[in-house]
Amino acid sequence: MNLAFRDVRYHGFKFFSSTLGVSLLIMVVVTIGGIIRGVILDSSTLIEKTGAQLWVVQKTGAHPGVGTFGPFVEISRLPESIYHAISVIPGVAEASPIVAAWEHVPQMPPPTRLMKFMYVNALLNTRSMVKPGWMAMPHVQRFIVVGYEPGRIGGPPDIIAGRGIEASHYEIVADNKTGFHVGQRVRLGNFEYRVVGLTRHMVGFTADPVIYMSLRDAQNYLFQTDPNLLRSEQAVARQHARELAATSPRLIPTVTANEEARLANTLYVNAIAVKLRPGANARAIAAHIRRWEHLAVYTDAQEVNMQLMGSNRLILFQLALFRDILVLIAGLVIGIIIYTFTLDKVHEIAILKLLGARGGVVYRMILQEALFMGVVGTLVGSGLELLSEPYFPRRVVATSGDIAQMLIAMSVVAAAASILAVRRAMRIDPRSVLSTG
Amino acid sequence: MSANQSTAAAPIDTPEGFAILAEGLGKVYGQGASRVEALKGIDLTVRPGDFLIIMGPSGSGKTTLLTLLGLVNEPTTGRLVLGGREIYGGVPPDLARMRREEMGFIFQAPNLIPFLTARENVLLPLSLAGVRGEEAQNRVSQLLEYFEIAERAAQYPNQLSGGEQQRVAIARALANNPRIILADEPTASLDTDRALAVVRLLRRISRENAAAVLLVTHDHRLLTEVDEVIEMEDGRIASRKKVDPEA
Repeated sequence: MNLAFRDVRYHGFKFFSSTLGVSLLIMVVVTIGGIIRGVILDSSTLIEKTGAQLWVVQKTGAHPGVGTFGPFVEISRLPESIYHAISVIPGVAEASPIVAAWEHVPQMPPPTRLMKFMYVNALLNTRSMVKPGWMAMPHVQRFIVVGYEPGRIGGPPDIIAGRGIEASHYEIVADNKTGFHVGQRVRLGNFEYRVVGLTRHMVGFTADPVIYMSLRDAQNYLFQTDPNLLRSEQAVARQHARELAATSPRLIPTVTANEEARLANTLYVNAIAVKLRPGANARAIAAHIRRWEHLAVYTDAQEVNMQLMGSNRLILFQLALFRDILVLIAGLVIGIIIYTFTLDKVHEIAILKLLGARGGVVYRMILQEALFMGVVGTLVGSGLELLSEPYFPRRVVATSGDIAQMLIAMSVVAAAASILAVRRAMRIDPRSVLSTG
Repeated sequence: MSANQSTAAAPIDTPEGFAILAEGLGKVYGQGASRVEALKGIDLTVRPGDFLIIMGPSGSGKTTLLTLLGLVNEPTTGRLVLGGREIYGGVPPDLARMRREEMGFIFQAPNLIPFLTARENVLLPLSLAGVRGEEAQNRVSQLLEYFEIAERAAQYPNQLSGGEQQRVAIARALANNPRIILADEPTASLDTDRALAVVRLLRRISRENAAAVLLVTHDHRLLTEVDEVIEMEDGRIASRKKVDPEA
């Protein structure tokens, strides 16, 4: 006779309401784990999906001798032509010029009810912490422009709707998080683009969605000089020419042409993504590239690490610590529930002992109930978490590994709590069932 | 009350013939100033099929004696033989197993397991003893029929009347065909008719199964229904008298 099953059946409401409480606690723990994994994935997807093993960036930046942490964490700017030289290094399969920069458009996709609720909730929770105006509803859509040479690495990896970029100009593939749809015309800067495809989960470490465009479009969009600035700079150049007329009139055409070419030049890139041949020695190739004194090289793992350990570092540490605390609290709560459930049964345990039940019968009953609560609580909590994932504003990704970890942790907690509780409960003297006399 | 004979226990040479044999059984609680001698040199023999009532004022040691005989309490002194087995001398037997397989307990309160139905409560001792399947189910059905609670078999204890609960408790005590039945004030919460019915039932079982029944009670209404009465006083057996059913 399975006593645990019969106890659960009889105390159904009490048991299942407690299990639901445990489930909600587990849901929060798994969600925090999912948020951590989401931040990690957001920081790594763009790098991993590019498929490059090495990233070449501008060397001299804010940290002389160390190199800039480009192209996603710090500014890096290189002449586009460098990629030709890198392409011919032995062991390099492909070198692709990449442009990457944060931009915005002045309208957001219409907020959903849930987003409005989250916004109001954020306002209520932060109203004593921020100055008026800081928490204004955002009305610009931030995104990352990634320009790549079509046919080379660095483009959108998975198209979920529409197609990839085929025309030389004015076509973009956007992450579905932008809210754009296939066929939509979007004005970015001075140019209008047509959305020809959508991709998924392509965001930067800030969770801003990516918009892919051809390298030329990206260069024009990002590096073209503002026409007002151009006119101003041309006036300065003409003034220099006039000054030059008195001393070196023959140099005027050359200097003027150079100056105008400099002002109109957009042939820059932010990085060169380098894909290696199978078996190529990445360390040796990186050393080779570093011989150019103005270049720095990072592996894909270093690129991901820069993003993780950059602005996301402390929030990751904080979330991980919070998760640890929650796991501890969940363990304590489950332990206390099981402990009190068991101590509620001391009279029944005394009867069982008096009837000659072995200790194992009592242990088995309590352990089965505790494990049932732990396992069902974890599975229901994890299920609720998986159902709620799409509604979070940032990516939340809980894996079967996370759920398995929680199952093991909760089973251990449940087993430990039930053993402690039964040891205490087994001290009950079966004589307590008898009257005095 | 009809009691006409005092029968102090005589020395026993062949303990195998007795369901219970106690010699010089004593129990002391506490030490020093708080020392209480609850039982003092109890000599007692009970044969299979005997039906005895233990009476006496509160604190006379009735329940303590019952706990010693029920193997849930260890005597400080003396010898105890149950079913021919020496309990506290030589190789100690598995006391839980003896309770499980050879004893039945009936309490003042029914003490049913609240999360088991009436049927499951009766099945419990069989299940604990490893008796399963059809044999166990048939035994339970017989007992439920016998005690006229078969129709209430699927009910939980809190859905049964006090009398029904007590009958389920008795059925549970008898499930394993125990050789010794120990009952502690089983009729205290019952009216006269029900109390007498319970005792008659126990007596019938005792005769049919050759089970020794020891019933602790304050209830003098029950004296007409038993074989012998043991009077306890201050931790000792003051008297043991046969009851004359004709008187």
